[in-house]
Amino acid sequence: MIEYYQPQAGQNPVFADLDLGTPAVDSDTNVTMSIDGIEVSVPAGTSVLRAAALAGIRIPKLCASDNLESFGSCRLCAVQIEGRRGLPASCTTPAEEGMKVTTQNTKLATLRRNIMELYISDHPLDCLTCPANGNCELQDMAGVVGLREVRYGFTGDNHLEAEKDHSNPYFSFDPSKCIVCSRCVRACEEVQGTFALTIQGRGFESKVSAGQDEGFLDSECVSCGACVQTCPTSTLMEKSIIDEGQPDHSVVTTCAYCGVGCSFKAEMKGNQLVRMTPYKGGAANHGHSCVKGRFAFGYATHKDRLTTPMIRDSIDQPWQQVSWDEAIQFAAKRIKEIQAKYGKDSVGGITSSRCTNEESYLVQKLVRTAFGNNNTDTCARVCHSPTGYGLKTTLGESAGTQTFDSVMQSDVIMVIGANPTDAHPVFGSLVRKRLRQGAKLIVADPRYIDLLKTPHLGESIHLPLRPGTNVALINAMAHVIITENLENQEFIRQRCDTDMYAKWREFIAQEKNSPEASADITGVSADLVRKAARTYAREGNSAIYYGLGVTEHSQGSTMVMGIANLAMATGNIGRDGVGVNPLRGQNNVQGSCDMGSFPHELPGYQHVAVDEFRKNFESAWGVSIDSEPGLRIPNMFDAAIEGAFKGLYVQGEDIAQSDPNTQHVQQALKSLECLIVQDLFLNETAKYAHVLLPGSSFLEKDGTFTNAERRINRVRKVMPPVAGKQDWEVTQDLSNALGYPMNYRHPSEIMEEISSLTPTFTGVNYERLEQLGSIQWPCNDMHPEGTPIMHVEDFPIGKGRFVLTEYVPTEERSNRRFPLLLTTGRILSQYNVGAQTRRTDNQVWHDEDVLELHPHDAEERGVCDGDWVGITSRAGDTVMRAVVSSRMQPGVVYTTFHHPGSGANVITTDNSDWATNCPEYKVTAVQVEKVTQPSNWQQRHKAFDEKQRGFLTGVAEQSEG
Amino acid sequence: MAHDKNQQLVKMINQIALNNAYDDDVDRAADAVASHVRKFWAKSMKQDIQALADAGGEGLNEIARAAVIRI
Repeated sequence: MIEYYQPQAGQNPVFADLDLGTPAVDSDTNVTMSIDGIEVSVPAGTSVLRAAALAGIRIPKLCASDNLESFGSCRLCAVQIEGRRGLPASCTTPAEEGMKVTTQNTKLATLRRNIMELYISDHPLDCLTCPANGNCELQDMAGVVGLREVRYGFTGDNHLEAEKDHSNPYFSFDPSKCIVCSRCVRACEEVQGTFALTIQGRGFESKVSAGQDEGFLDSECVSCGACVQTCPTSTLMEKSIIDEGQPDHSVVTTCAYCGVGCSFKAEMKGNQLVRMTPYKGGAANHGHSCVKGRFAFGYATHKDRLTTPMIRDSIDQPWQQVSWDEAIQFAAKRIKEIQAKYGKDSVGGITSSRCTNEESYLVQKLVRTAFGNNNTDTCARVCHSPTGYGLKTTLGESAGTQTFDSVMQSDVIMVIGANPTDAHPVFGSLVRKRLRQGAKLIVADPRYIDLLKTPHLGESIHLPLRPGTNVALINAMAHVIITENLENQEFIRQRCDTDMYAKWREFIAQEKNSPEASADITGVSADLVRKAARTYAREGNSAIYYGLGVTEHSQGSTMVMGIANLAMATGNIGRDGVGVNPLRGQNNVQGSCDMGSFPHELPGYQHVAVDEFRKNFESAWGVSIDSEPGLRIPNMFDAAIEGAFKGLYVQGEDIAQSDPNTQHVQQALKSLECLIVQDLFLNETAKYAHVLLPGSSFLEKDGTFTNAERRINRVRKVMPPVAGKQDWEVTQDLSNALGYPMNYRHPSEIMEEISSLTPTFTGVNYERLEQLGSIQWPCNDMHPEGTPIMHVEDFPIGKGRFVLTEYVPTEERSNRRFPLLLTTGRILSQYNVGAQTRRTDNQVWHDEDVLELHPHDAEERGVCDGDWVGITSRAGDTVMRAVVSSRMQPGVVYTTFHHPGSGANVITTDNSDWATNCPEYKVTAVQVEKVTQPSNWQQRHKAFDEKQRGFLTGVAEQSEG
Repeated sequence: MAHDKNQQLVKMINQIALNNAYDDDVDRAADAVASHVRKFWAKSMKQDIQALADAGGEGLNEIARAAVIRI
């Protein structure tokens, strides 16, 4: 029996599980002091409390936590310092050279006992039945100081009858347990940056309050969980812990929601997950979380989970439950028959940005070996494919340039077409932290996003451009930089292709690219553009963060290149605080792209047409690989409708809901003779499937995810897969049934194969990941511990390449028939198609998609808040509830696509990015009018949905849609 | 149905042409478009657009027309 390398959970950076009391201090000088006779050397400015903790001395404390600035309110951490009067709080006393500290003597013991006695005199003594029992800092401190009696009694004024607040679905607030240490308030401010909590009243009346006498649910609280995490008592407590009790063990793993890739401790009782707590040792999140990763994990055990493989001959038939083997054989037989009849290229596969690297790698490998073609694509096609194209063309690598932490060195943060406080909340909090420290903010977005409303925000510029005019705006900014001589000549000379620069310079200096000329196009005043360009170019370290508001346009790739041009022209590449940073939507968008999911690229972005690349894979895989690219997702749809494409294997994606022009997608899916869907749930796509293979959630498998900063993080299995197989095992079985043997015994073996074939991954393996905690690729002989910041000395292509970025307006324009522009986006509580979050209590925040429109547009149409409105584009129509919002600009309406029934993608069109076919989700010309009933599509969708659900449960509905 | 797919290909290649049309240099632009199509389009799509061009190339713009020959 071979022993697999099974990493030990939690064995990560030192101190990740210890609270050192106050935050680390960055200083070049060290001071040496003595604590209880032990000599300690720490960076100047470090608190005595932290210095002691580093030396292994645990001074009692209550109001201090090492993710919060010291506060000095509980006084429990008092110490005696030689030559000083009194007993100062060690959390607020900086270590000094030669200081001699005593942490325990009779005087200190008496003081601490007296403090605890006062706390406990107004605290319920129901420890045995308290949910924090076993994990309560107050209880621990009472034990540590040796509290034996409360001389004051319990009959005086107290807070023991204070009313509880259970309004939040995930945690309860019990003020009777509160010791007013302010940790929750400070966490809300310092860690999350929302400032929802406050201490109301003075003295004995002091109490923690969410907003002004509001319950938590109605307040500005965003349910990130930072307050619950830091509470030293059970005042703020997860309902799951109240219901289930404290966990008995935990495993460190990676969140499966957005591209931030937070590390979490999955806290377990047996195989039951009772709590997710953000892991302090996680390099992407440093112990912070958002409502999705922290609380919305209930979908993993939801009753809707598919637990048995199923097959059927046609989509008008009920499902038939079968064994894994039967389902796999059925699928393989169908695929082989299709290929025999329609040719090798008539089938393909779609990898998932939600699955692990190892799983994406296997699906594309299956397509390239067992299917024998390059018809593999990934959902990154519809979000960040222009990033891959644009950054590879200009900077030479299809990835963001920085770590998240780099933003803490930025002087100017420019956010384009991204909404980090909703879509990348933990990174949004980090940005807000830097903004509170004084960094300047530039936002280019049609909407007034929440980042612009950051509490204690300094200087900010909002460029409220019209949807579809990004390139005109970025060209105008570059024009200002060139014509006002704000470029970084030295950087350009040393690091960039100067011929290409000269051509670009000539192009960008043309009058048509000036802010004055483009103001009519973008709708942004020339003055504002000039101000933004000067700020970006002049104020030190400038970093650009962008999202799908950049990529999901007909000129998505051009815009990505325009951003790279701007960064190169100003020398904002290759060090901390600068860079070009795509914020990836799903957890493993970066990874699924890295893994060769695209039809033109093998793993590591190695083009299939290059013999040398292809030969490596051919000899490793023992097959010959087509030197021509395969079909991309939209091309697959077109080919399916034409009749040339008949079989599709979809792992963990819901193309019927997430892809644009739903009716076109539905038509394509109906044209398939074999659709194999592997998913957690009967998603929209699965309703058109012939084979349904139950998927495994991130809690049920081993593997890795790669986040937006190229960080490869381990995903660790904490419970057995509900249907018995991890996703990679299913792909392997299918490949074997198709006649191409795969015999991996553990995902670590798949990663070893990836490393052997991908030059940027040669140093990546599970053992290394365990040692380092995580690795940012490239990781190879040149960068054995990975690469936090890219392009420090040169670009992978040698010199940086300036690309001409002519503005070409989209064909999608408003006109008399469709006078408004619809743009789409995300909301904090829901994730992508909502398959996961809709099956959690996150529904309380957003149980339907709504249409936001400006008061002027609403008034013109007689629309009031809450009215049903029909939204019509040339692709289709749907009905949603209206929300009148001044966050919109006149002429622009907005919605999300988290709920299938809202049909947001029935309206979006088949327009796409010129270079990558990434759909133009962000610009659709529409008309909006008041209506009284759902659209025809919605009525058909409802009937079809009911019928397909019936097929699943065996009670087919009689009615036909 | 085949007509729809061809329309889509024409739209795509015309769009690539518009985004590579610099300085009215049709030759240079056509080279860029042809190179893009070679690199990113599936074989069947290349064959279809070539067949369409051979049949008169209805709907193709000037650069796209010049590019198809160079694929």
